[in-house]
Amino acid sequence: MLEIRDLTIRFGGLTAIDGLSLKVDEWEIVGLMGPNGAGKTTAFNCITGFYKPTRGHVLYHGRDVTRVPPHRKAAMGIGRTFQNVGMVKSETALENLLTAQHTKAGYAALHGIVGSGVARTREKDLVAHAEAILDLLGLSDIRDRRIGGLPYGTLKLLELGCALATDPELLLLDEPSSGMGPEESDELGDRLLALRRELGVTMLLIEHHVPLVTAVCDYVYVLNFGKLLAEGDAEHVRNHPEVVAAYLGTEAVAG
Amino acid sequence: MTADASVSSALPGRRRLASRTVATRALAALPLLALVLWLPSTNDTYGHVATYAAIFIMVGLSMNVLTGYTGQISLGHQAFVGLGALTAANVVKTGIVPADPFMFGVGMVCASAASGVAALLLGAVALRIRGLYLALVTLVFGSVFADAIFTLPSLNGSDAGVSAYRPNSLASDYRYFLFALLLAAGCLYIDQRVRGSKVGRGLIALRENELVAQAYGVSVLRYKLIGFTISGAMAGLAGGVAAFWSQEFSDKNFTDVAGFNLALTFVVIAVVGGLGSRGGVVLAAIFFALTSPISPLLQSLANAMHWGTYYGNNKFYVSNVIGAVLLLQTVILNPGGLGQVLRPFSRWFAGHPFSLHDPDGGDTTAMEGGGVRA
Amino acid sequence: MHELVLAGGTPFSVQLNLLTPLFDGIANGAAYGLLGLGLVLLYKSNGIFNFAQGEFAMIAAIVTYVFDSGTGVLPNLPFFVAALLGVVAGVLVALITERLVIRPMFNRAKVILVVGTVGVALLLIGVEGLLPYPKTEQLPDIGTVLGVRPYVAKVDQIPIADQDVAKIVMLVVLAIAAYVFFRYTRTGTAILAVSQDSTAARVVGISVERISAISWGIAGLLGGVAGILLAVPPQGTLTPGAFTGSTLIVAFAAAVLGGMTSLPGAFVGGMGLGLIEAFANADAAFVPGLRSVANGQAELAVFVVLILVLLVRPRGLLGQES
Repeated sequence: MLEIRDLTIRFGGLTAIDGLSLKVDEWEIVGLMGPNGAGKTTAFNCITGFYKPTRGHVLYHGRDVTRVPPHRKAAMGIGRTFQNVGMVKSETALENLLTAQHTKAGYAALHGIVGSGVARTREKDLVAHAEAILDLLGLSDIRDRRIGGLPYGTLKLLELGCALATDPELLLLDEPSSGMGPEESDELGDRLLALRRELGVTMLLIEHHVPLVTAVCDYVYVLNFGKLLAEGDAEHVRNHPEVVAAYLGTEAVAG
Repeated sequence: MTADASVSSALPGRRRLASRTVATRALAALPLLALVLWLPSTNDTYGHVATYAAIFIMVGLSMNVLTGYTGQISLGHQAFVGLGALTAANVVKTGIVPADPFMFGVGMVCASAASGVAALLLGAVALRIRGLYLALVTLVFGSVFADAIFTLPSLNGSDAGVSAYRPNSLASDYRYFLFALLLAAGCLYIDQRVRGSKVGRGLIALRENELVAQAYGVSVLRYKLIGFTISGAMAGLAGGVAAFWSQEFSDKNFTDVAGFNLALTFVVIAVVGGLGSRGGVVLAAIFFALTSPISPLLQSLANAMHWGTYYGNNKFYVSNVIGAVLLLQTVILNPGGLGQVLRPFSRWFAGHPFSLHDPDGGDTTAMEGGGVRA
Repeated sequence: MHELVLAGGTPFSVQLNLLTPLFDGIANGAAYGLLGLGLVLLYKSNGIFNFAQGEFAMIAAIVTYVFDSGTGVLPNLPFFVAALLGVVAGVLVALITERLVIRPMFNRAKVILVVGTVGVALLLIGVEGLLPYPKTEQLPDIGTVLGVRPYVAKVDQIPIADQDVAKIVMLVVLAIAAYVFFRYTRTGTAILAVSQDSTAARVVGISVERISAISWGIAGLLGGVAGILLAVPPQGTLTPGAFTGSTLIVAFAAAVLGGMTSLPGAFVGGMGLGLIEAFANADAAFVPGLRSVANGQAELAVFVVLILVLLVRPRGLLGQES
C-alpha cells in the first residue's frame, strides 16, 4: 500500500533521513521507532508531502506520490495526527470533526457559500458522522466544548477521531500514546486493533511506548540518525543489540 | 464507518425541541426589527443614516470574513469599497436622469465582481507575503490603488465626480434604505453560510494552523483566494450601494487622508465588533454609523450641551477619537470585542439557558496569539 | 538643460529637467528616511511595525509651531527652544504609548500590537484635530530661522534649499548616531539582546520593560526630529494625519525595502523611493494629458517596487532571511 524507496532529505548540511526504505502492506499496523531526532516525524512529513525529499520516492498504491501536495494526500486517503496535537483550538470538538471531513463534504465551495440545498443536506450527514465518531470514542459529552482547554489525553483521542473523520485508508499516527498513562495506553492499543478490524484501516505509527508497539504492531522499523537501524517483528527488534545500544547509548553495550 | 443508530436517532428529537425554543425566543427580537424598519421611514435624514449603517454592516462583514475567519488583516479595505462605488457609478452613468433599473442591477453586480477580482489579486500576493509585511502591503495597496485608479480622469468624471442617480423605484431615501438593508441581510446570510459550511471551517483551520488544515485536505492556495474574493465581493457591493446612497462617486472620499480614515474605520468596526463574530460586527457597524460625522445623533447631543458649534467644526476628529478609544479598549482589555460581551444573549437566542458565565469560553482566538496572522 | 520636442509635430515643447526631480527626490527621500529610522528602531527592538510614528512626528511639529508662534496664551519662544519642546512632546507621547498600549500587550500576537499602534495613530489624529491651532500653517523656513538666504547653492539655476540640506544632514547624523548606539553602547546592545530572545535577556538581568520604554522613547525622539523637518515649506503641513496618510506609508515601504532591521537600509530605501517617486512624477508631467495622474502614478511606482521586492525576498533587500 505504502512504499518508501531510498528516501533522503537534507536541510542545508544536515541529512535528516538517509536512504530510508520501508513498506506498509494493506491491513498492517507498522511501527516506526527510534530515539529523538532520528527522523521519524520528518519521514511522516515526506509521506504527507509537507517536505519534498532530496532523493527517493514515496509510492502509494504503486503510484509515485512524492511530489503530490499535502492537501491532495488527504483526499487520497492518507490521514495523519501530529506530535503535539494538531487541531483547530478555537473550535468545538464537533466543529473539528466537521473540519476533518473537508474532502468528504460532497459539495462545492460555492454551494456552501450560498447555502444551497445540497450543502445543507450534506452538512446534516457530516454532523451525524461526526457524532458517530464522538460516540465511538466515548467523547460525546465534549461535543460542544471548545477544545482549547481540554486535557492532553482527551485531545490525543479526539485527534485520532479527526484523523478517522478524513476517512483514511492509511493512517499515520505520531506518538498517539503520549500524555497517556499505562491503562489509557492499553485501551488505545485495543482501540487501534478494533479500528483495523472494523474499518480496515492500515496504520503506520511513531511510538516510544514499547508495550503498545508490542501489542499492536505487526512489523517495526527502527531509525537512528536518519538511517534504518533494524526491522522485524516487535520481539525481534526489541532484542536487537544495535537498537538497545541506540536507546541506551553505545557505551552501555561497549562497556 | 457506520453512524451509530442510537446516537443519530436521539438527535433529531433534541434538535426539534431546541428549534421550538429558538423560534419562541426569536420573537423577542421582533420589536427591534419593527423599530429598524419603522424609524428610518419617519424622516429622510434617518433613512439616509440607516442606509449608511447598512453599508457599514456590509463592509464590517466583509472584514469579518477576511480578518475574522481567514485571519488576514486588511488596512486597505477602502480600495475595495471605492472600486465598487466607482464601478457601479461608471456602469450605470445616469447623469441627471433616473437610472435604468436593469443597468442599476448590472452596476451592482459589476461593483461586486470588480472588487472580488481585485481582492483575488491581493490574495495571490498574500500567498507569499505574510504577517506584518502583509499588513503593510494591504495598507500601501489601499492607498496606492485608490490614488492611482480612482483619480483617472476617465473614471472620476474629470475630477468632478460621477453622478449616480437611483432608479425611480428606489428614489426615496426610505426605499433605498430597504434595498440596502436587503443586501446587508444577504451579506449576513452569506457570512453565516460561510461559517456553517466547509468553507468557513477550512478558512478558520488555515487561520490557526496551515499544516493541520492541509492534513485535513484544505488547499491553502484555494481557500486563501476564496476568503479574499468573498471579502472583496462584499466590500465592492457595499461600495456600489454607497455610490447610489450619496448619488455620486467622488474619488476624494477614498484617497489620501479621507481614504486612510475610512480604512481604519473598517478595521475598528471589525475589531470592536469582535473578530469572527457576526452579531458583534453588525452592532459595531451600526454604532459607528450612528456616531459618524454624517449622523445627526452626536450633533444633537452636542447642541443640547451647548457644544454644537465646536462639534460641528470638529466632527471628523471626534469620530476618530471615539473609534480609536474603543479600538484600543478592545485590543487591550477585551479581545473578544462586542461579540464576546453579547455571547450570553446570542447563546440564549440559540436555545441555550441564559447565563452570564459562558461554559465554552467563546472564541477569542482570532485576537490571541496565533490567531490573526496578518 | 535639455530640450525635448515630442515627435509627430506636437505643439508641445517640454523642458526635460532632470535636476529638479533629482533634488526633490533626495529631499523627499531624506524625509522618508527620517521617519523610517524610527520604524527600523522599533522593529529591531520590539519586532513590530509602529503605525503611530507619523503622528509622533506631527505632535512634535505642532508643539514646535505653537511655542514658536506663541499661539493663544502660550509664550512666544525662540525657535530652537520651541523645537526642543516639540521633540520632548514626541518622546512623551511615545513613552505614554509604550506604557498604556504596548506594555499591557507584551505577550500578544505581533499583529495585534500593530493594530494597537494603528489605534494610537487614529487617536492622535483625532486629538490633534481637536486642539485649537491653525491647521493650515507651516513651520518657519530654516533659512528664516537662521537668518540666512533660503538656499545653500544653485546648480544650473536650480536652488538647493536650506531645509533639504538640513533634512539630509540630520538624517545622516541620526543614522550614524543610531548605528553607534546599537553597536557600542550597553543600552543599545541590550535592546538588540531583548529583541533576539527576551527570556534569555531577562535571565541575564536585563529589564525587558525598561528596554522597551527606552526604545520607544528613542523612537519618539527620532519621530519628533523628523516631524519638525517635515513641517517646513514648501510641502510642509500641520494637518492632522498628513504624515501618516502619505509620508509614513512610503517611509514604511522604504524601510521594508531596506530590510526593516537595517539602518543603512532605511536610508538607502528612503532615497531610492524618493527618487523613483520624483522621477515618476516628473515623467508624468512630460506627457500631456497624464498630468492629473501624476500623484497616483508615483505612488504606483513605489507600490510595484515594494511588491516585486517582497515577492522575491519576503524580508526585504538587505534583510536577513529567517
